Amino acid sequence: MSRGVLQGVGLVRRYGGLTAVDHVDLVAPPGMITGLIGPNGAGKSTLFSLLTGVEQPDEGQVLLGTTDISTMRPDIRSRRGLVQTFQVPSLFTSLTVADNLLVGAENRRRDYAGGLLGLSAQGRSRVSRTVAGVLERTGLAPKGPVDRVVEEVLSSLGLSDIRDTIAGTLPTGALRLVEFARALCAQPDILLLDEPASGLDNAETAKLSELLRQTAARGVGILIVDHDVDLIFSVADQVYAMVGGRVVASGDPGTVRDDPTVRSVYLAQAPLAAAGHAREGS
Amino acid sequence: MTSIDLGLAGISLGAIAALSGIGLLVTYRTNGVLNLAQGGIATLVAYIFREMVVEWGLPIWLAAILALAVVSPGIGLLLERLVFRPLARRRASAAESLVASLGVLVLILGITAGIWGLGSRSDAPSLFPAHSVRLFGDTRIGVDALAELIMVVVFSVVIGLIAARTAFGRQIRAVVDDRQLAELSGVPADRVAAAGWAAGTTMAGLTGVLLAPRFQLTPYGLTLLVLETFAVVVAARLSSLPVAILTALGISILQSELRQFTLDGDAGQILTVLQSNLFIVALLILLLAVPKLRELGSGDSGATSSFSSRGAPPSGRVGQARFRRDYLGKLGGFALLLAPLTFAPSDLRSAFQVPALALIFLSMVIITGYSGQISLGAAGFAGLGALLSLKLANGDLFGLPALPGIWAILVGALLVAPVGLITGYPAIRRKGLTLALTTFAVGAVVSRFVFEQPTFASRLYIDPLTFFGHALNDKAFYVLELLCLGLGLLLVRNLHHGRLGRALLALRDNSGGAAAVGVDVRNLKLLAFTVSSVVAGLGGALLVHSSYTFSADDFAPLQSLLWFTAVVVFGADSSAGAIVAAAFIVTIDVLAPDGSSTLAVGILALALGWMPGGLASAVRGVLRLLAQYLADSFVDPNQRAPRPVPVRISAVGYLPATTGIVGNTGLPGIGATLGAARSGHNPAWPTPARPFARTAGVPAPTPFGAALVSAVQQYAAARAAQVSARAGAGSTTATGPAALSGPLADAGSGTRGPLGAAATHTARADSAPYGPGSPTQGGRR
Repeated sequence: MSRGVLQGVGLVRRYGGLTAVDHVDLVAPPGMITGLIGPNGAGKSTLFSLLTGVEQPDEGQVLLGTTDISTMRPDIRSRRGLVQTFQVPSLFTSLTVADNLLVGAENRRRDYAGGLLGLSAQGRSRVSRTVAGVLERTGLAPKGPVDRVVEEVLSSLGLSDIRDTIAGTLPTGALRLVEFARALCAQPDILLLDEPASGLDNAETAKLSELLRQTAARGVGILIVDHDVDLIFSVADQVYAMVGGRVVASGDPGTVRDDPTVRSVYLAQAPLAAAGHAREGS
Repeated sequence: MTSIDLGLAGISLGAIAALSGIGLLVTYRTNGVLNLAQGGIATLVAYIFREMVVEWGLPIWLAAILALAVVSPGIGLLLERLVFRPLARRRASAAESLVASLGVLVLILGITAGIWGLGSRSDAPSLFPAHSVRLFGDTRIGVDALAELIMVVVFSVVIGLIAARTAFGRQIRAVVDDRQLAELSGVPADRVAAAGWAAGTTMAGLTGVLLAPRFQLTPYGLTLLVLETFAVVVAARLSSLPVAILTALGISILQSELRQFTLDGDAGQILTVLQSNLFIVALLILLLAVPKLRELGSGDSGATSSFSSRGAPPSGRVGQARFRRDYLGKLGGFALLLAPLTFAPSDLRSAFQVPALALIFLSMVIITGYSGQISLGAAGFAGLGALLSLKLANGDLFGLPALPGIWAILVGALLVAPVGLITGYPAIRRKGLTLALTTFAVGAVVSRFVFEQPTFASRLYIDPLTFFGHALNDKAFYVLELLCLGLGLLLVRNLHHGRLGRALLALRDNSGGAAAVGVDVRNLKLLAFTVSSVVAGLGGALLVHSSYTFSADDFAPLQSLLWFTAVVVFGADSSAGAIVAAAFIVTIDVLAPDGSSTLAVGILALALGWMPGGLASAVRGVLRLLAQYLADSFVDPNQRAPRPVPVRISAVGYLPATTGIVGNTGLPGIGATLGAARSGHNPAWPTPARPFARTAGVPAPTPFGAALVSAVQQYAAARAAQVSARAGAGSTTATGPAALSGPLADAGSGTRGPLGAAATHTARADSAPYGPGSPTQGGRR
């Protein structure tokens, strides 16, 4: 059970006099979708950066399984199974969609020096890797396991047809999907999604929630931060609501939705039910 | 001399450095361009001033007015109008502006060297009389220092008042903030920018005229002096005028004060060097200590993707097919490189420098083209490689035994790796301007403290190379060079291929995204810097053996700037470009007088505004235009079923945009979006060609032919798409969602048009969510 659980324990992050994240505890277990909501300035994004490693906490710990990863760089966390997507899709714009996914799939190892000597093929031992590389290059051998992961994700997300398109030329909806696919290719234990639905239309959002459920069903833990409260309440198994840097309510979606603090915060801004529809107009 | 006297002596130089810093800051704050050409402009104006006084016999006051009130601002206005306004108009990145200013620097150096030669002159006239006035007691201060100090105060007060108190100052801030937005609000942005440039270049001119009589007047020497004053603006973090002025005076006075100390041994030697090189040391230390410069604009100034028109070679079978076809071109290039073997002995010796220089250029391709960093320290690494290999061969390095020449070259190059690794560390967190200046400072410090020091760079013997006891003749040496170049090319190829290549490109495109999926950002950057330094070191070692002598001038810091510009001009991501650039420079240096290659590279650099990807991509662009012309002439866009396309074309490749969207998303929304993307996008040329119907017996076209044909197809398809889209938009019958999806859907079908074979291959009308505004209808109109 301990493997793959993402835990924030007593996290604090201050900017000068402002405490953006104030003693927050959070658990994102594998196989479950955890939602994080809150109005603007509630500290969601800061908490998210603490978990991904873009920023480091002033107090408290981030645990992945039983390991303290509080001070690790984002790429190390990623290799340990904590993979994120961004508010602004951050694809490799000069690479094709398939190559974007390949980069996602093949960077859990870091023996780049082998590549420098030309040993870039997949395989177990160095010798077999070299042989496999020669065979692959001459077209005699099937593609390696990494390629299989990529092919699977490509076809299951319906991206096979744009696999050779340069990623920089895609529109936002497709970019989000490709970025999600790239994160899946990294075979994460925990997936951290920062506003994955922004810029998507209703149909695309529906597809996204379906994807999220399928992914969680395969045992991946998902932590999702979004303004789209409807999306979170519809897909999440548990929800954390933040206001002013603190978690004011947590638990299953129904409980959080009925929490008086949450209600007052969201009613002050926009009616809860309409929050999702406001996006349609834009 | 007392401490006070030394301090006063330092004031003059400090004031000049402050003037230079003021000029740099004014240009930067008004235009967002860190003007690396400042040194070149200073040198040019100094030469013109000297010419007017010494050769034409004009009185000094008249020459000063002409040089500083006419020529200097004129240069600024000209640069703004011809070079930097077009760049600002198309919102070029800070990196592009930086390279443009490098181009200007190289051009001005070329002009100066072309007119006045590279020799030094010691008769530069002084603006002020050589008198001194008594301050108190025996302490006197020179009239020049006093005048310069007054100028600094006056200029900074005037600039401060303009910035803070006038409407013009507000306009400057608006233009710097967002030029387009400022123009929309009625701010005359061009005039603000031009004023900034004129003021900046006037300061540069003043710097040059004041510096020239204090030192020997040489094109490169004076330029470098001015470049060292960049320490001042770095200390000011590119924003604060008072900090810049105080730093300038502080460094200069400190440097002067150091003269009263003497030390013994190695420390003494370091002190001696410091006494005249404190500015460059300060530049390096400040760059390492100051965490971040206040760069204007967005933080993407490190992105050099604009120099690199190409992405990764497509993985999988597509890449393999192209790889095989590329063999022809590669064989041709190899044959050309072998050609010097048939030359006369003296010409062959001239050709020696080509592979050596090409290796140095390759090292810059690795850093700039593939990992997207600007590095201006290549000459330092090359020089270290040269020095270390010679020391190894002489048995003079840390008591190591003497190595045979060839092994010394290879081991010497490898020994540069640690230096590259150390230089790579600052590069992890730095990019853009900061990294460019840091690498430049490293190169300059290495040059001053190692290459120019007799302890390291004297008593070097270059013995003829031997291979297992046999002396290498000229031809054998050239072949050895080619082997080394081949090794370098192999490294570059491996860096660009497979997992490693993809990871590096991912890093270049989006380092945050790369880290998010586990790409080891830190180690990859270090790897790129280390490999690059080794390749540069190998090139440097070979360069020394081809010129039979180690000269600090060959590896001077300014060389790095010239070389970097050449690499960018010839295509920063192109190995072939690197070799061509080397051949180009060596050829011109051999055939034309000194400095001509600098001039030629400078002229080409100015043209970079019209071909952002360098010459390599300009060639690709010309091919594309040719294809468009052919398509306009021979392909009828209104034809739905185009005239039969020769089968051969289908063997070459097909357009990825022609495929319909696969229906298994089960999701109309995403499908439509993707469909629109595919038909609307204009994929980077050349299109990844995917052989899908390799017909036996059909001769394969040459790479050029294949590229041309696929470009024609693509352009024709896009044009057909536009035509049918217009037709579709004209039809008023479409309603509701169909009206929305109509043009997009039409575009999708249009691109499918001219390619009969591809259309049948990929027709998926059943799954396409096109609705009633169906593609075929639109196309038929």
